[in-house]
Amino acid sequence: MRESLMPLTFAPVSRTTSSSPSRLERFAAGDIAAFESLFREFQSQIYRCIVLIVRDRGLAEDLTVEAFWRIYRFRARFDPTGNFSAWARRIACNLAIDALKRQRPEMALLVEPSAEPAADPAVSRETREKIARAFRELPAKLRAAATLALIEEQQYQEIAAALGISVNGVKSRVFRAVRILRKKLQRMGLEP
Amino acid sequence: MNDDRVKELLRAAIPPAGDAELKRDLWPDVRRRLDERTLRVSAYDWVLIAAVLASMMLFPQAALTLLYHL
Repeated sequence: MRESLMPLTFAPVSRTTSSSPSRLERFAAGDIAAFESLFREFQSQIYRCIVLIVRDRGLAEDLTVEAFWRIYRFRARFDPTGNFSAWARRIACNLAIDALKRQRPEMALLVEPSAEPAADPAVSRETREKIARAFRELPAKLRAAATLALIEEQQYQEIAAALGISVNGVKSRVFRAVRILRKKLQRMGLEP
Repeated sequence: MNDDRVKELLRAAIPPAGDAELKRDLWPDVRRRLDERTLRVSAYDWVLIAAVLASMMLFPQAALTLLYHL
């Protein structure tokens, strides 16, 4: 029987917090209860990973659902002895980057800023809008790496694991993003 | 303009997301999505349907044979 026609069985969920190998094995074998248990443990982490990149709560919720659907669909590719969190985050980040590719640069960033004041209050609103627009025009992969490294100040190692690339790959993307951004800002006449 | 200044300007323009926590349980949406996909007609089935319809248009008399077998 083809996978798309396989019946789903919804058994009671065990509310354990650890990723025991047996649960991962059951998930890889298509056990929906094991999948739900993993979902409940990791949904917030996956959502956060996506929302930090796409910076739109509604879109991030949709992409989280899509990410978990893909996680379930491609469960046979998951090695039950491996790290579920890292594997799931890679799927989520790739989805988020694909979403960035579809976003138009004029779209606003909808996630509420943190309670902290902006780093430089002297920068005018118009200037901030120009910078934000220039940033949104960056290629999606560079933008994702730069967002996590420069705005969210995550560790390169953490970003590398999420994006499924090496630490040097992350450094390279961030370096290229800053270089392109600097040129764009200079073209806009934004000199300190 | 050096790299540090670019980073400063960037952080001034796009502040960190801060509280970006999930506000609701997405499991019902995932369940719905799994059910939708479970019931979805596969591409192979669509090709089969298209082939049957095309053959009925090309050979209308074959429709009776098909109906007999249904």
